[in-house]
Amino acid sequence: MKKSLRDFLGELETAGELRVIQNTVDVRDVSALISQSKRALMFNSLSDYPGWRLCGGLLSTRKRLALAMGSSENEVAMRFEEGLGRAVDPVMVSEAPCQEVVRLGSDVDLAAIPYPLMHVLDGGPYISGTMVTSKDPEFGRNVGSYRLMYRTPTETGIDLVSPSDMRFYYQRRLDKGQSLDIAVAIGVHPYEMLAASFKAPIDSDEYAIAGGLHGEPIPLVKCKTVDLEVPADAEIVLEGEIIPIGWTADEGPFGEFSQISGDVKWNPIFRVKCITHRKDPILYFLQMPWENDWLCAPVTEAAGLLALRAASVKPVAIRAPVGSCGYWTLIASIRKRPGEGKNAVLALLSVSEVKLAIVTDEDINIHDPDDLDWALTFRVQADRDVIVVDGARGKHVDPSIRAWELGKGGLPTTAKLGIDATIPEGIPKKFYKRLRYYGEDRVKLEDFR
Amino acid sequence: MTGMTALAQQIMRAVRDRPQQFSEAVDAHRDVPWPQFLRAWGEVRALNRLERDEDGRYHLKDV
Repeated sequence: MKKSLRDFLGELETAGELRVIQNTVDVRDVSALISQSKRALMFNSLSDYPGWRLCGGLLSTRKRLALAMGSSENEVAMRFEEGLGRAVDPVMVSEAPCQEVVRLGSDVDLAAIPYPLMHVLDGGPYISGTMVTSKDPEFGRNVGSYRLMYRTPTETGIDLVSPSDMRFYYQRRLDKGQSLDIAVAIGVHPYEMLAASFKAPIDSDEYAIAGGLHGEPIPLVKCKTVDLEVPADAEIVLEGEIIPIGWTADEGPFGEFSQISGDVKWNPIFRVKCITHRKDPILYFLQMPWENDWLCAPVTEAAGLLALRAASVKPVAIRAPVGSCGYWTLIASIRKRPGEGKNAVLALLSVSEVKLAIVTDEDINIHDPDDLDWALTFRVQADRDVIVVDGARGKHVDPSIRAWELGKGGLPTTAKLGIDATIPEGIPKKFYKRLRYYGEDRVKLEDFR
Repeated sequence: MTGMTALAQQIMRAVRDRPQQFSEAVDAHRDVPWPQFLRAWGEVRALNRLERDEDGRYHLKDV
């Protein structure tokens, strides 16, 4: 049976990576408590929310992400890419844990959900770590992840500033003066969140990608009020519509995945018509920025691997460092043939909003910053091995692109930098012979006391 | 402000008197249960009179 969020919580606990708090906690304090914990946290008792639990910080380290993916820390990208390559179509079920409780009409009350307040400068309480499903009559189903800022018991802001398939779907409905139905699943297994975060081609089904990661189909259930499907084992589902007002409602600031507080943005409003959840729901609190960044990393890395393979370059290892929020930088080592250092750089720069790409030979351990620095020092000549591309697609949360100068709904551009840190063509490899210590194969320190 | 709860009126007066971050409004009402505060905030929001300054602080639009 496919793993759920609860299965992952069990795995974390078994591995000593989850701390369960039994004391009653005020929801306003959970963010600060999660930020102080080296382990993921589960709050079993919340003030004013009887029957609810809340968990957070589940993926705040690469170690815990690797645990979710059943791989080593350095191999999560390969594991993710493997799943992408074997999509498994979802299956429909008629009954689902996520619909054990159904709230309609005057029972719809977002204040009855332990809606957390994360950061000091946030424009309101936020739910992130969502899996949002929408449909377009021509392009079909889409699933992505979008944050929701609490506005009223029946409305949230929804961040649709960045280019995405759902933004495209919403724009098409908006052009006709119509709303876009969506369903928001909260509390799913990390594989579903990874699939939702992946920028899949518009004709791909993210549920099939999640199925590929699990190695079995995702059970889906029909929503109660909209013609959409959601993972049956989710904890909570919000059904409703993004109303046709365009980018006119204030939303944010929010502690962004860029690790800085964002700006007030102008976004549409999500009107909630139905809330369904389990009888004993667990609200998943995705702690920004770390959980988002560690979730981003394998998605960016897998996109980099696909881009390299499409460019007929053989990748050996790839890394999207957390210092770049797992998003803006890609570092790869390759098994190089002449000219492929540059090809690889260009391929990596084509990935989403990646703005720094570094490519090394396979003898460099890209997970070791010192080894990477060594390659950058001795294999790079700035006039030959550095590529700058101007005017590529950017992302609002990067302050260096001055997004505040754009009008409402405007899209930013960015410059991109690529560095080919492979051994330059024409320089014999003998000039890069590493030092070896005399007798290192003959004597071992552990044999001596 | 007819029909608004006393708490919503209190929040609205505070925002009218001085622009403030959402967290400042929360700090001023830590004694109020969180769901109750959220519902009252929703009442203020529903008036469509909240505006934002460049630092994200809420203030009340004049009518």
